[in-house]
Amino acid sequence: MTEDIAQKTKIKKAVAEEQSGKPKQKDSGDVVIEFHNVYKTYQGKINAVVDATCNFSIGEFISLVGPSGAGKSTLIKLLTCEERPTSGKILVAGRDITQLKKKELPYYRRKVGVIFQDFKLLPRKTVYENIAYALEVSDATNEEIHDRVPKIIELVGLSNRAFAFTEELSGGEKQRVSIARALVHNPKLLIADEPTGNLDPVSTWEIIELLFKINKQGTIVLLATHDKEVVDTVERRVITMRDGKIVSDQEKGKYLF
Amino acid sequence: MMFLVSVYRIFKTAMVSLWRNRLLSLAATLIMVMTLFTISFFASVLFVTNKTAAYLQDKADISVYFNEDVTKDQIFTLQNTLLARSDIKNVDYISKEKALERWKDWQGKKYTDSENGLQDVINETSNPLPRSLDVKADKPEDLDKINAFLSSDEIKPIVRHVSYEQNKIVIDKLIKMTDFLKNIGWSLSVLFLLISILIIYNTIRLTIYARSDEIEIMKLVGASDWYVQGPFFIEGTMYGLLSSIISSFILYAAIKYSLPGVESYLGAAGAQSIFSGINLGAIIGIQLAVGLVLGTLCSGFAVRKYLKV
Repeated sequence: MTEDIAQKTKIKKAVAEEQSGKPKQKDSGDVVIEFHNVYKTYQGKINAVVDATCNFSIGEFISLVGPSGAGKSTLIKLLTCEERPTSGKILVAGRDITQLKKKELPYYRRKVGVIFQDFKLLPRKTVYENIAYALEVSDATNEEIHDRVPKIIELVGLSNRAFAFTEELSGGEKQRVSIARALVHNPKLLIADEPTGNLDPVSTWEIIELLFKINKQGTIVLLATHDKEVVDTVERRVITMRDGKIVSDQEKGKYLF
Repeated sequence: MMFLVSVYRIFKTAMVSLWRNRLLSLAATLIMVMTLFTISFFASVLFVTNKTAAYLQDKADISVYFNEDVTKDQIFTLQNTLLARSDIKNVDYISKEKALERWKDWQGKKYTDSENGLQDVINETSNPLPRSLDVKADKPEDLDKINAFLSSDEIKPIVRHVSYEQNKIVIDKLIKMTDFLKNIGWSLSVLFLLISILIIYNTIRLTIYARSDEIEIMKLVGASDWYVQGPFFIEGTMYGLLSSIISSFILYAAIKYSLPGVESYLGAAGAQSIFSGINLGAIIGIQLAVGLVLGTLCSGFAVRKYLKV
């Protein structure tokens, strides 16, 4: 219980520091992701996303909130190209990703880091292998892998578990591995889809802190979450969705539902 | 250069996966072994039966055995008479010595095994075996006529025994059986092959289904299609390789085990002539080919389904 409060306080402090006029990141503020009137309808009846229009800029930390079924996960799937919009455009770094061909998808996916509620780690592989896989997949040389992977493992605080198998890790540790893997290509965008849904309160804050750390280094973080406390504490931009529509977009938002 | 590294990585991933999923791999391999063994066993049986029939047919259609008091001249006269006939292809004279040799071959180990006491009863000095003529007809239909001739009054006195009737029954049965097998043999073989392909395909599909979450994650992380498929292809190939090797061993053991049985039925020489036809190398080769091809192809097709993410 006290650990809980300690963590929260730590993060609140980090947030406060951000606000106190520290020099901004170079080219922060540049718009990198644009949604233009995006619709996604399943089987002609289920309107998962309705007329979504918004922009994300470099350095932003965005919380995407809303009740279950509001469309958060769908919006994320559209960003990772797991689904294509029924209509509308999505621009990432100026490129319309809705027009990407199938063989271009792997290259795009390597530029966007994603972490999920169910971690999605490769079973029967070690922490090191899981992270290395993301690099192997993009034809990195063995030297590059030997170089980068230990550094990333250290960044997420798992140096002592580098050779543990997925099955041997706790929830919090698994999520760290997911984050590490997502960071392997230095993505400009890190999407977190309910990353703390399966974690206990302490692990939850540890992950949020890690996400914050990453955000400070310039990565856009899009955090879809149910967790009211997290959203309220972080005091950053909050986009609220309901029934597929974006109903609120606040700079220093609170969890509204 | 990078390509080679990728190939190496794919290969290594496949091997490590095989090992780490070893129970699954073992189950799939065993099923393939049983399937492959069934086909090759069936094929072998078909082959052996065919060969046996041919072998028996090739032996004398009729054997004429002579009494001990018949002279060599009388035998040769009969031989020439028979050779003169248009419906007879060949007549071989089997002397007592030759008869002994053939009989020894037939007995194989039973004769050389001195405990039997056979060597005391039948050997070079004491040879009760009769002389005979092996008569080979041009066509099986003529055998009746030839047999009638040999049973006629002029020939009967010197002849101790004509083996026609007994041979005929056996050979007829054999011919019927091989004809039957030949007819259904092809269709059965094709059926077996199809069934095997289906079994192997579905087994591999199941193993890949068991790992479909892996495939999904690989795609999400940005793996290209062939990087995902590659290891599974190789794993399928390994299943094929391993199962055909094991199946070949079992088949080899089965053949060795059945050899004495066939020997006692056809004689050692006969058994050898039949089994020498089974080129073990060819069987293993074919099994390997089928196993490898099936294993690889099935894996490939089965994985594609999951690549639609």
